Amino acid sequence: MTDRITLDITRRGFLGTALGGAAALAAGPSWAAAKTLNILSHKVHETVLGTGDGDLMKEWKARNDTDLVFTTFDSNPLQDRLFREASLPSTDYGVGYIIDNRPTADIAKLFALLDDFLKSAPIENYDDIAPGLREAMTVGGKTIGIPVRHATGGLFYNEALLEEAGISAPPTTLEELIEQAKKLTFTAKDGTPVTGMIMASDLAVFPVSFARAFGGDYITKDFKLLPKPEAMEKALGVMANMFKDGALPRSYATTKNDDQVTWMQQGRAAFTMITFARYKQFNDPANSKFPGKIKAVQFPKSKSYDGEMSAVTESWGMSIPANFADKELAWSYIREVSSPRVTLGMAKNGNGPVRVSTYADAEFAAASPVAAAEAKALATARGAFPPFPEAARAQQLFLEDVQLAVLGRKTPAEAVENMVKRITPLLPA
Amino acid sequence: MRSRNIAQTLPLIAPVHILILSVIVIPSLFVIWLSITKSTYGQAPTFVGLENYFQVLSDPAFRSALWNTVVIVVFAVHIELAVGLLMALLFASGLPFRRFLLVAVLAPYAVSEVIAVVMWRYLFDPDAGPVTLALKGLGLPILDWAYEPSHAMILIGLLTIWLHLPFTFIILYAARLAIPADLYEAARIDGATPLQAFRRVTLPLLGPAIVVALLFRYIFAFRIFSEVWLLTGGGPARSTEVVAVYLYQEAFSYNAFGTAAATAWIMVVASLLLAAGYVLLLRRQVTANAQ
Amino acid sequence: MRNSRLITGAGKAVAVAALLVWSLLPIAFIVMSSLKPGRDIFAVPTVYVFTPTFQHYASLWTRWGQFFDGLLNSTVITAGATALAVVASTCAGYVYSRNSGRFHDASVMFLIVVRLIPPIVVTLPLFPIVNAIGLNDTHVVLMVLYATFFVSLGTVLMRTFIDQIPRELDEAAEIDGAGRFTILRRVIVPLAAPGIIAVAVFVVVFAWNEFLFAFIFTATNAKTAPLVISEMLGSMDGVDWGILFAASTVQLAPVLLFVVLMNRYLVAGLTAGATKG
Repeated sequence: MTDRITLDITRRGFLGTALGGAAALAAGPSWAAAKTLNILSHKVHETVLGTGDGDLMKEWKARNDTDLVFTTFDSNPLQDRLFREASLPSTDYGVGYIIDNRPTADIAKLFALLDDFLKSAPIENYDDIAPGLREAMTVGGKTIGIPVRHATGGLFYNEALLEEAGISAPPTTLEELIEQAKKLTFTAKDGTPVTGMIMASDLAVFPVSFARAFGGDYITKDFKLLPKPEAMEKALGVMANMFKDGALPRSYATTKNDDQVTWMQQGRAAFTMITFARYKQFNDPANSKFPGKIKAVQFPKSKSYDGEMSAVTESWGMSIPANFADKELAWSYIREVSSPRVTLGMAKNGNGPVRVSTYADAEFAAASPVAAAEAKALATARGAFPPFPEAARAQQLFLEDVQLAVLGRKTPAEAVENMVKRITPLLPA
Repeated sequence: MRSRNIAQTLPLIAPVHILILSVIVIPSLFVIWLSITKSTYGQAPTFVGLENYFQVLSDPAFRSALWNTVVIVVFAVHIELAVGLLMALLFASGLPFRRFLLVAVLAPYAVSEVIAVVMWRYLFDPDAGPVTLALKGLGLPILDWAYEPSHAMILIGLLTIWLHLPFTFIILYAARLAIPADLYEAARIDGATPLQAFRRVTLPLLGPAIVVALLFRYIFAFRIFSEVWLLTGGGPARSTEVVAVYLYQEAFSYNAFGTAAATAWIMVVASLLLAAGYVLLLRRQVTANAQ
Repeated sequence: MRNSRLITGAGKAVAVAALLVWSLLPIAFIVMSSLKPGRDIFAVPTVYVFTPTFQHYASLWTRWGQFFDGLLNSTVITAGATALAVVASTCAGYVYSRNSGRFHDASVMFLIVVRLIPPIVVTLPLFPIVNAIGLNDTHVVLMVLYATFFVSLGTVLMRTFIDQIPRELDEAAEIDGAGRFTILRRVIVPLAAPGIIAVAVFVVVFAWNEFLFAFIFTATNAKTAPLVISEMLGSMDGVDWGILFAASTVQLAPVLLFVVLMNRYLVAGLTAGATKG
């Protein structure tokens, strides 16, 4: 089996050399170890494993006489490449990182089922991994991925700007948040025009969070669309009012994730919602005008709703393409990365830890001021929507109506009605 | 005679045609087949006839994307041609620091689209971008592109012109350089004014290059993608979506390969119709060239 | 007379100034941003006065080593693709300029109509094929792809340029006993130099910045610089804008240098062929 892999690499290397004439330029695979495990991931997944002396996989590499070669892409291209590779007759990639809203029944067919591995060579203290995350990696009761990272959303606020506007504490209800956001739409004393809140308009996270704050949702785990339509109407109404009052930027309809970060760092916005993991970036003195001043709490729910509110989370799992030959080696890697030791090590390198026990680690908690809020949010967190074949298309239709409602080109009621009309046919039967 | 001629020229045109056949034509035949099936990752293609074509053509989002594309193509390409032609004449008329100026005006072409968009988004930020502030300072109207769909279209058009004007310019400039100086000399001796020289000498001789520049800009502009995808994401509320964005979403976001393939073929036909006039002009030139 | 020349001069100066601002303003901002301290890059109002820092370039070097591997790969691929496209286009352009008849006319039109097919769709069937013949993640596959998508334009352009070279020149060479290849090399290529350069510039810029094919057909060995830049823009752990603009500036420089070098030939063409004011 390993022969085949080596052969493949030789063939690649050979063609690259002979035809491309660039062997010296291409960083070829290392020949130090007997075996190579190719991994398809985001660069973050590689970075959090550490390098040199801090390499969390050093011991595993020596024990298995195997080198790890990461091929990295940004999230969406990565998913595309992974599915493309897994659709071939055979692939060189042993491990692929997959996002939790992707594994539909069709996609699951491309990956090895891991339940047998979990029995024959179990992961240490597997139950310690947050149940919601484990469930997100199962399709039809079968495990196709092992959780490795989560990103759960929290409400970030700029303490300095709050103080300047005479607000002493961050909001505890959605109504307070809106009130404060309005108050914080002003010109700061250094002359910067401040907008109350900034949110990306190309992600379902925001309307979903506002709807959940009123006890509603977008699509539930059992594929119910808008379980409480009036909650979504209220959510859209609230957002539309914020836009009308200038508490959302004029550029709302073209705002992206990255804009949220730069606006917060520059003090152009007082509130935003984003994953807790961004704490470090917001407070980085090299890039932020408010180092140490940008803090996070759980996203608040409306005072009119007294049920439980789930934060929005997105998680990653490690999976093995079904067309990869040496699945034992791939599983060995996954086991090691999922161990409590490596999970903690990755968390210290900035990875959202999937194990509940990691949050109990004193050193980790001390290093990450938002750890407590994050752990609390994670306990009940859920994806913005469950995976299904037309999920991406449904999200696009959903966001179109959300934007029209927020910009005031449609009433919230019209938007909700249109959502039901257009998204219902896309739901799984 | 004719067949001997073809046999002699074949080795010289073979490389071009082998590349095109193997990389574009043969895979495209597979795409035709893909367009009459339904498939996604983990799901083998099943035959559905022309359903994909009907589905795409009846989608209001596709039709608005097609309209947006046509508007951008027609405006951007012709403005580029007019400005590019003036620039070529300006450069040919003799300028100091010509080398430096040439590099300067070609520079935008070398900027990758991703980076260009990042910068333009900042420059034109509707609240605080330097260009917005400058326009306000001069008392001029600003581009409220994140809110007004028509303003968003204007900004997309400006950006695409910024990126591709050098393309049109360099074709026209290179063609202008190839016009022998003695033709202008002769025109001057005949007492022609500069305008007459332009109409009688420059324009006819630049004609073929103009048609080529226009035709290929039509082809490239019809696929406009990054400028829209990265600048507005097709927003506000999908009002600036173009056909290539629609196709990209079908293929890469929704993994619906059947409708993506159908969209591609509809795109081929639509761009052929839109550029038909220029294709015919080029054909006339190709045959006229025979004499 | 003198007055009108003054007006023309002033008009030219205004036009040149407008062109410079239009072309260079965004680029100046990119370069400036790469030299600003991180927190000033997107500051509002814009910071124009700052102490330049090379910190971002240093970070680029230490944290994104693969960007420089990517630049090497891009260089190899761009050079190969350009050579292939220019040679193939010049040969074919010469044939189409000097020959006609139904076969040749039809095949020129075919080259153009084929280009109406959006490149994005051929990636779907090509990916399994490229894998099957073992060319995935090699430099060759991108050279061939990039060249292919520019030979149509290249051929048509070269035909247009070669059309302007008087046929008497090749006929004279033919009488001297030169074959097609010799005529092409000795007569056509030198005279069509500005056109060849124009084609080369297009291929270089396209191959240097191309993203989609590079994304689909490379992994580690042949990964190009634009792919690494797009990773820097990835939204998972946040963008370090300073590094991104530093990388963009580095990536922009070689293409500009190429244009500067080629410029000489364009200007040579000018003095050989065109007006003097």
